[in-house]
Amino acid sequence: MSDLVQSLVRIGSFTGKELREVLRRPGVLASLILGPFLIMFVFGLGYSGYRDPFRTEIVLPPGDEFPRDPEYYADLAPGRLDVRNIGEEIGPAQQRLRDGDIDLLIVAPENASAELREGRQTTIRVMWNEVDPVYDQLAALATSILTSSLNAEIIERAASEGIAFAEGDLGPAADVPPEVIARPAQAETENVAPSKPDVLAFFGPAVFALVIQHLAVTLTALSMVRERLSGQMDRFRVAPVTSMELLIGKYVAYAFLSLLVTAIVGALLVFVLGVPMLGGWPTFVGIVLLLTFASLGVGLLISLVADSERQAVQLSMLVLLASVFFSGFVLPVTDFAEWTQYIAYALPVTHGIATLQDEMLRGSISMEWMLLVLAGIGILLYAVSLLRLRRILRSAD
Amino acid sequence: MVEPTPTTAQPAAPTPAAGAEPIISANGLSRAYGDRMAVSDMTFDVLPGTILGVVGPSGSGKTTTIRMLTGTLSRTSGEVQVLGEDPMRFSRRARGRIAYMPQLFSLYEDLSAQENVGFVAALYGLGPFRRRGRIRRALEVVDLWDARHRLARDLSGGMQRRLELACALVHSPEVLFVDEPTAGIDPLLRQSIWDELRDLRNEGRTLVVTTQYVAEAEYCDRVALIVDGELVALDEPGALRQMVFGGDVLQVDTTRAVDPELLAGIGGVTSVRQTAPRQLMVTVEDAGSLTPQIIDALRAGGVEVAGIEEHQPTFDEVFAGLVEQRRALRGQTDLDLSERRGADGE
Repeated sequence: MSDLVQSLVRIGSFTGKELREVLRRPGVLASLILGPFLIMFVFGLGYSGYRDPFRTEIVLPPGDEFPRDPEYYADLAPGRLDVRNIGEEIGPAQQRLRDGDIDLLIVAPENASAELREGRQTTIRVMWNEVDPVYDQLAALATSILTSSLNAEIIERAASEGIAFAEGDLGPAADVPPEVIARPAQAETENVAPSKPDVLAFFGPAVFALVIQHLAVTLTALSMVRERLSGQMDRFRVAPVTSMELLIGKYVAYAFLSLLVTAIVGALLVFVLGVPMLGGWPTFVGIVLLLTFASLGVGLLISLVADSERQAVQLSMLVLLASVFFSGFVLPVTDFAEWTQYIAYALPVTHGIATLQDEMLRGSISMEWMLLVLAGIGILLYAVSLLRLRRILRSAD
Repeated sequence: MVEPTPTTAQPAAPTPAAGAEPIISANGLSRAYGDRMAVSDMTFDVLPGTILGVVGPSGSGKTTTIRMLTGTLSRTSGEVQVLGEDPMRFSRRARGRIAYMPQLFSLYEDLSAQENVGFVAALYGLGPFRRRGRIRRALEVVDLWDARHRLARDLSGGMQRRLELACALVHSPEVLFVDEPTAGIDPLLRQSIWDELRDLRNEGRTLVVTTQYVAEAEYCDRVALIVDGELVALDEPGALRQMVFGGDVLQVDTTRAVDPELLAGIGGVTSVRQTAPRQLMVTVEDAGSLTPQIIDALRAGGVEVAGIEEHQPTFDEVFAGLVEQRRALRGQTDLDLSERRGADGE
């Protein structure tokens, strides 16, 4: 038998062994195929993307001319304020804010009308009690919208009063309604994106990419560590097998598994959960293969430096944690400082998420360079793993 | 370094062709872990078609030795040749001719017995059609064919050891390195594993087998006794007995109490030990020729012989004797050294 055929037989032995080991564990099989789907399904059912409006209390100066109707203020920032109470004492309201009974406290200025008539700006105090930076920004945004609306409301009233005065003394004035004077321009919005995904559809490709990376990293890391710790490496050292045959065998097995998972989960995503697939399936599969290739490299690298299964799992979890934070899964990569973005781009999943979302939701990949980076990460990690494995097999210490 | 003199005792195996070249040779083989010598200056040869038993207590350096022979562990000094090659630079061809059965179970628990053997067969480049028959034969040799579909994790400890052996056999190697095949296995199964190893030897294969069970030295063609990383003795099992006891041992039972002095004058009798009032253990140079003389001498002294037979000391006794001899030799050496130091001091 020729050397090439024997080499293929050896590669096949590793591929077959890996596949059998994974498929023989029903739990692993279930988590491979059903897991990603269930995660997305629960995510889609449970997450609406709707944020509750801020529970708001407004303190008005006693006897002032401000309206007392909560609906009036809620309408100034539609969907963002749930005005629970309108009172006149600031102390109890501040206590309720500290106790977490309300989210937002708006204190109207005293003598606002007089200040305005005398040409001075008045100040509306808005307070909130929030440590979550995302909510902090949202509260600031709600306040900004409220202030703009309130300003427009005041201008509208002033204009209305001015027009009445002009009409009374000077006859018919210019035919400009006060709301136009207060809001001379309005925005008409249109999202020109090729698809309008809901929250589930938007996050579907990202969850899928994260799951593919995590599976490849964890399974490979554990598989190789087990072989190192069980003494199997001694068998490989004695047998006429090369480190390249061993690695290729494992890569082929996990590429096959990834394709299997991709086929099933991809079909569930598109046909059951309704995630759009505006691009082509071949490109989709190509991205998944590249992502798997790069992720296997991460797993192999972990397996070759870890001293135990526990350490391999810990390192895999660290990669997952880094992926959740830096990959653009939760926060856009561009929100990070430049040096942090390098960490993000070193993770295969960052490129997987961006390209899969593009391919599925936009129909084409806008950043093709990401595919090259993904391939580059894969090749680099394969080369490093190969050298390290070769060293392990030759070290005999 | 110990280089015991080979004796003429009969080997238990078909004798290798006269003048056969050693298939394995080690010369001054040593391995150190830091300051500690795990194996020191070991020299031995293994002829084709024989079993070399590497016998010694746990931690004596057996596994270190066998791993250096397979190239899975580098040596600190010395030379090793297996199939004419240095194990640290084995060619692919040489690798295909040897097999190594590690001490610990390292196969895949989620694969069946048949799949595990198939995996190892494929590692040696045996294609799907070619390996089918080999897998069956290997499993039949170790009596696991009926259990071929059982997952490795569901096999008993003894079956797992036999499965390891089947994996080592599947590519039909010329040289097998088998590390502790019987460790932790019940005596009946140990016997069966040794039967299998001897069958392999009878097929012409060469085996290096380590064991901590001294009695198993009996099954080997040659025995390397290792203590504290040093080769204490290397010879055929019978020769090692003679080495310890100074010849054949006869157990003589008499009809009445006997005086050991009755045998003192017989030439060829090296020692007489009374083990009971009516029993003597007599060490002789050659049991066959001296037995009639012993009977005559006792009769002449008025003592009838009730029974006389050659006593086979167990290998535990042989091992204990060899270790004692080594200690005595070391003690003598230490004494000589301290005397010399004392003399130098004066």
